[in-house]
Amino acid sequence: MKAGIQTRLLLLTSGVLALFLSLAGFVLDRSFQASVKAGAEEQLRLVVFSLMGSIIDEGGDIRIGLEVPEPRLVQPQSGLYAGVFGVLGETYWRSPSSIAVEFEFPGAGASLQPGDFRFSEVMLGGVPRYSLSYSVIWESVEDLQLVFNMVADQAPYLKTMNSFRRSLYVGLAAVIALFALVQALAVRWGLRPLRTMAEEVAQLESGQRDQLSAAYPIELKGLARNLDRFVSHEKRSRTRYRKAMEDLAHSLKTPLAVLRNGLRGRAQPAPADLAQLVLLREQVDRMETTVSYQLSRASVTGPVIVGKPVAVAALVDRLLRALGTAYQDKQIRVETDIPDTFYLRGDERDLLEMIGNLLENAFKYTSQRVLVRAVEDNMRVLVVEDDGPGIELAVREKVLRRGTRADQVQPGQGIGLSVVVELIRLYQGDLTIGESRWGGARIALQFPQLSGD
Amino acid sequence: MRVLIVEDEAPLREQLEAEMKSAGYVVDSAADGEEGLYFGREFDYDVVIIDLGLPKIDGIDLIGRLRGEDRAFPVLVLTARGHWEDKVLGLEAGADDYLTKPFQMEELQARINALVRRAAGYAAPLIKQGDLSLDTATKEVRVADQAVDLTAYEYKVLEYLMLNPGRVVSKTELTDHLYDQDFDRDSNVIEVFVGRLRKKLSPLKAIRTVRGQGYRLSREGTD
Repeated sequence: MKAGIQTRLLLLTSGVLALFLSLAGFVLDRSFQASVKAGAEEQLRLVVFSLMGSIIDEGGDIRIGLEVPEPRLVQPQSGLYAGVFGVLGETYWRSPSSIAVEFEFPGAGASLQPGDFRFSEVMLGGVPRYSLSYSVIWESVEDLQLVFNMVADQAPYLKTMNSFRRSLYVGLAAVIALFALVQALAVRWGLRPLRTMAEEVAQLESGQRDQLSAAYPIELKGLARNLDRFVSHEKRSRTRYRKAMEDLAHSLKTPLAVLRNGLRGRAQPAPADLAQLVLLREQVDRMETTVSYQLSRASVTGPVIVGKPVAVAALVDRLLRALGTAYQDKQIRVETDIPDTFYLRGDERDLLEMIGNLLENAFKYTSQRVLVRAVEDNMRVLVVEDDGPGIELAVREKVLRRGTRADQVQPGQGIGLSVVVELIRLYQGDLTIGESRWGGARIALQFPQLSGD
Repeated sequence: MRVLIVEDEAPLREQLEAEMKSAGYVVDSAADGEEGLYFGREFDYDVVIIDLGLPKIDGIDLIGRLRGEDRAFPVLVLTARGHWEDKVLGLEAGADDYLTKPFQMEELQARINALVRRAAGYAAPLIKQGDLSLDTATKEVRVADQAVDLTAYEYKVLEYLMLNPGRVVSKTELTDHLYDQDFDRDSNVIEVFVGRLRKKLSPLKAIRTVRGQGYRLSREGTD
């Protein structure tokens, strides 16, 4: 199944947001790292300059005064180390902090132009460190070129960076979560008219509503209006079509009745006329059958929309009462087994037509007993059984064959049943003909289970 | 027997009139619902045939109104539409049977006969009162299994009395149900028919005269 619009919008906006915020996080992290490194370089430069200020020059001999400018340079393994070297790598001075540390100063013997700084990240003694070297010409001592090398452990800086990174990502995650929540609410609110429309269309389908409500936002107003127009147009067309069919039935069948009775009225025709009369009667019979069958077929329109649920027990009761009046003489024993909860979805007229035809056949052909019962498994089935003579195999096949041409339908070959077959197939159901428990006809009308059921 | 036909299509109405007359009925006919309502209110019928698609007052409405005024005669509905909704509505309004157009006149006759019989409380076409029997389908009358030859009017008188057994039927009622409206009600033709019938049915004394009131068919056909 395709994801809904709400899910799509949420996935898309959350994805884009996560991507942008991750990029922003990455850039911020990098900037912060760069600024921490720049800060470290700056600190080391300051230490270099203050160290230079502490140099005591005693007639060509270089040494650092007792007042070491940075206390960490005195404390062993403090994480800040310094050394003063000649260009050939000779050591003039090492800070007391570096005495117990096993690494070579990277600035010792480095080829640096006087006045140049070199800042780098290095691994010294298995520990990541920053190194800053500065080369200078000490003019007072025969233009001696010295290299000041500061080394600082990265650990405190990395700690600052990690702490910043943690806060940054927690913050960003919180922003994403909050945004997703706000976005979900916004999408839900924004799509509410669509959801309302979907609900109303479902109600329209099940017959609980005749048209959509008027309160739709401007983007959906046109759609709602057109849908309403379409539904009412369909309803009007259907009514008009039915009315036209009824008028047609009336205006065709009444003259046919007159014609048939007129032909019958001629008593004792001359032998020459007799053949003609028989032919005319046959043609009238054929027209009559065609008209009856075609009009019955045409007047059933089938379901355009799913239709209201119709309680079958009440509908069958109504038909049975009516048929009971018309077939009083036959003293038929009718048993029904239809739960009150058994319903079918469709046009009530269509259902009345289908079930009415089946019950009428049962009443017509039964000798005494009729059984109407409902079965519900994966189809909704209504079964009508009688104890009459049953339906011949040839007739069964003819009735059930799809698309039987009307002029091939003969009188007495189940026109009513053919109409039921046609109609039930419009409802995506089916009809089966079998033998009842009493040897009569057993007709099962099968309706598919619908998703709304 | 008196029948009312309410049908707006003139050719069919005329055919129905002819058919019912040839079957021995006295026929009134109406071309629309309003006229049908008038006849139904004014006269007593043995059976009424009503087309559902009527002008002025719809067939279903007409049946409902007649039943609402306690008119209890049997009603047969004719429908061209043939939909179950119409048939059920017709029967629910108070019709007793329906027939879908186009129909066979034989079918119509059979339905009408059955309705008339049913209204009199008989289930089968053969009506028996003691040794006297009358077949409404074949129009045969027998006394102790011997066929009796009756004229059309004699048969009509006997049939009407047999469909109303044990009840006193006045001469006026007999005249209303057996003759057209323009019949001379003062003539003694009914007495003549009853006299001839008694002779033909003898030795049964089935028809008794209730002085000043009319005739009564003995329930057992004999006294």
